[in-house]
Amino acid sequence: MNNWDRLVWNQREVFLAGFQTTLQICAVAFFWAIVIGLLLCLVRMYVRPVKPVAVLLIEFFRATPILVQLLWVNYVWPELFGWPNTFFAAACVALAVQSAGYLAETFRGAIEAIPRGHLEAASSLGMSPWHAFARITLPQVLLDAAPSIGNQFTVIVKSSALVSVIAVPDLMFQSQKLVNKWYEPIEILTATAAIYIAFIFLVSMALNWLAGSVRRRYGLGAN
Amino acid sequence: MSESLRESLDLSLFWEYRFILFKGLSMSLGVFACAAALALAGGLVAALMRVSRYRALRWTGTVHVEVSRNSPDYIMVVWVHFVLPLLLGALIGKRLEFNPFVSALIALGFVYSGYFAETFRAGIEAVPRGQIEAGRGLGMSERLIMWRLILPQVVRRMLPESVNQFISLFKATSIVSLIAVPDLMYQVSMVSAQEMRPLPLYTGAAVTYFAVVCGASYLLQRLSGRWRAKVFA
Repeated sequence: MNNWDRLVWNQREVFLAGFQTTLQICAVAFFWAIVIGLLLCLVRMYVRPVKPVAVLLIEFFRATPILVQLLWVNYVWPELFGWPNTFFAAACVALAVQSAGYLAETFRGAIEAIPRGHLEAASSLGMSPWHAFARITLPQVLLDAAPSIGNQFTVIVKSSALVSVIAVPDLMFQSQKLVNKWYEPIEILTATAAIYIAFIFLVSMALNWLAGSVRRRYGLGAN
Repeated sequence: MSESLRESLDLSLFWEYRFILFKGLSMSLGVFACAAALALAGGLVAALMRVSRYRALRWTGTVHVEVSRNSPDYIMVVWVHFVLPLLLGALIGKRLEFNPFVSALIALGFVYSGYFAETFRAGIEAVPRGQIEAGRGLGMSERLIMWRLILPQVVRRMLPESVNQFISLFKATSIVSLIAVPDLMYQVSMVSAQEMRPLPLYTGAAVTYFAVVCGASYLLQRLSGRWRAKVFA
């Protein structure tokens, strides 16, 4: 127990700083994942000429491991596009595009599930296509996809442990730094694993509950 | 911009090292195959525990599934490689060290056994109760009912979902490069450290994974679809 005090409890500020970085990355990546996913999905469905590009991007994001994407974005993008120029940005981009690929397919499924009659009714009421999308399609899509969107956040948190590889000072990075300082991996790494597992468990429970209650409130079934 | 673009599309450096990289890819596939076998076996055991009639077994199964499904792969790999040998060593009173390959198998097998357990369990619970009652009525033992009645149906039912899990397991094998298992990603990092030209190498690695995963998922979907059609008829 003495060791736990010394190596984990007394280092709580280091762990906390790392955890904060993890949260920041996950939040930024989650936001952009939804935005990019929605864009990719819309381009794929409604912009004929560039559809193949969108399909290729979606498939590429879905089919390559997150570690590969992380290193690829981190080492290759700066040379190609001159951006991202910080590790933090590279981590966010990699996590975001990975989830954007999955979300794009989820959104597509949700859009295709909306009965045609809804849009026909909207246009016969004189709503512009844009208006109909914002008021009829989008709310239903978000409700329908809510569980998958929540699930994607836990995927982001899980993958975010890898950003320590490109020296983003997240929870995993901080704990490895502590391990390298004292060469006592047992307590530090076990505590880190426990934090991740507990956090992901709680977040997935909370998001499931949230998605379920929002859907129930607007009259959709529990699943 | 166009200069660097041309350089990135020029994968000749990747081609130059094709033998090392191919060796890396076969290592990735080896890790994948062993971890998949381990995950399937562990998943089956955990699923059987979760539908067992003893509460203690059900609980153990549930804890296993929740822990393994909620732990990041990378954390598990690192924990198994650096902490588990010390704990086991303290238990048997000897210094212990895992080969990175062994650590990778244990960690990935553990994490993915949770996902497979849920797939198995969904399949087991989807078998109509009437069939189990009919089995009992014919005097089959519980074990016989499980092996002859339930599991054959489960395997067919879980095929499409397990294809997805195999794919994500294969993608997760790239992580083992971080504990120095010489897989594709490891070889790519080594060569790029030597040549100081990450651009074509990492692009090549991404393209390779993309090709393998897309090809495999297309093939598996078709094969499993055909197999299901044949067996269900």
